[in-house]
Amino acid sequence: MTVSGNDVRTVTFGGQRDGEGTLTWGQRLMWRAVHLMGDSQSFLNCPWVLPVYGRRDLAAVLEALRVLLERHESLRTTFADTPDGPVQRVAGRGELTVELVEAGQERALAAAERLAGEMSRTVFAHEHDLPLRCAIVTADGRPKALAFAFSHLAVDFQALGLLSARWRGLLRGEDLPADAWTPMDQAELERTEPYLARSARSVRHWRSVLEEVPLEVFDHPPGEPEDPRFIEVGMESVALAGAAVRLAERWTISTTSVLIAACATVLARVNGRRRAVMQLVHSNRRDPRTESMVATVGQDGLLVLDLPGTDFADTAQAAHRSALMAYRNAHYDPYAMQAMREEIGRRRGREPDLDAFFNDRRGGGSWPSLPRLAPGEDLAALTGKTHTYVTNAWPGVRFKVFFTVGTAPDTGQLSLIIDTAYLSRETAREMLLGVESLLVRSLTEAVACP
Amino acid sequence: MTAGAAELERKLADMIAGLSDGEISAEEVLAGGHSLSALGLSSLALIRLVDAIEDAFGVDVDLSGDLSSFEYVSTLAAHLADLLVPGRPR
Repeated sequence: MTVSGNDVRTVTFGGQRDGEGTLTWGQRLMWRAVHLMGDSQSFLNCPWVLPVYGRRDLAAVLEALRVLLERHESLRTTFADTPDGPVQRVAGRGELTVELVEAGQERALAAAERLAGEMSRTVFAHEHDLPLRCAIVTADGRPKALAFAFSHLAVDFQALGLLSARWRGLLRGEDLPADAWTPMDQAELERTEPYLARSARSVRHWRSVLEEVPLEVFDHPPGEPEDPRFIEVGMESVALAGAAVRLAERWTISTTSVLIAACATVLARVNGRRRAVMQLVHSNRRDPRTESMVATVGQDGLLVLDLPGTDFADTAQAAHRSALMAYRNAHYDPYAMQAMREEIGRRRGREPDLDAFFNDRRGGGSWPSLPRLAPGEDLAALTGKTHTYVTNAWPGVRFKVFFTVGTAPDTGQLSLIIDTAYLSRETAREMLLGVESLLVRSLTEAVACP
Repeated sequence: MTAGAAELERKLADMIAGLSDGEISAEEVLAGGHSLSALGLSSLALIRLVDAIEDAFGVDVDLSGDLSSFEYVSTLAAHLADLLVPGRPR
């Protein structure tokens, strides 16, 4: 059988159970995001590649894929709107069609990455589609890599990391037990105390911020945007990563806190404000049972950072404390949160715009393959090797400011999606370089903030 | 140290060890030679610890102010003992 000229195979799976239930908080958040984004929701899709380790034949790879689907309910789940609200439906059995693509002259992993990106550009019809698409890249007739597009309703970055580790085990011939904790279990738990109490506390925290936060992210009015309006400016800097590591050690806080502090500082500077307000994308796997759960769990925290008016060391400590508050209050029922935000909107004339984000995608919060730096090595000299670039643009992605720490293990990858009606690409580039400069200078001097 | 305070520290040290996935031992925590963050207690583990303390002791832990009481098990136990004083709002 062929599709677009390529062979296809069908993976038939049968899970331990099927069922229907309410959405988890993580799914509710993503469900709303998917619908708010409309045609641009493919931005939320997650391209992913799993290498075929060892010399496995196609039958072994398809068998491993079957087990992967059977063991993870999230990968067998569709989503539907019902009169009682959206639900998740776990399929007890089903089929996944997998295309076989010969790599040709291309390296197999590169071909898989390209295919994963291409497959991710198509929106999922969540009511009917399994939340993943898969193609197997072959070379010389052997499977070399799997290209995936996952719906963000099924996975977050931690889930993808779990799938990678389990895939490796499956190909080694290890048994993979069924998920000990599933989204259906989690959704039930979230309807009980103390979860409801935590949600109520988080909503109270957000309310206290939203009652007085400026209604706009930027004080200046929008100008003439570029076309496309939303662009992503990226930076790769070993100096950024090296400096973040040294400062984190010096101040016994995480590199994430150091980077949050620096990004919040440059945002506040652009605005001429003393307070930075940003949403933090948070993995949110607070219940230990969720740590090994393949699902979308992440929710956003709300960071409020008042720059202390002294130096960056104090700012970083304040950011660390504020980030803890944000993480703690990132655990809530999105329905309750939305009701509160709408109420604030009615009272203040409109909902405050919270479209400034920070996301650290590094799983372990480190750069495991960073080049070895000699103790005391001058990192300022390394900044000459930093490069910046403009990457993707999504016409429908409506972020004002979105900082992302990338997953590159050997360099500090920091990108910034901007709304060019408010910030120019040159300002965005200066903000990224400003983060680097703030960290590198703080190694040798007390840098005034703001 | 009273027997009650020692017992509280032990309970907290066991909680921390359990939440850190074996990265930090209860003995290291009780030794008090290094702060919890220096021992490697991550932000996520700290939030989990606060959740666990609230669930186990029925108190409401405030993270919005000074966090110095979260640096050592001894200071954390003293802070918790204060929260557990009868009549104090929880």
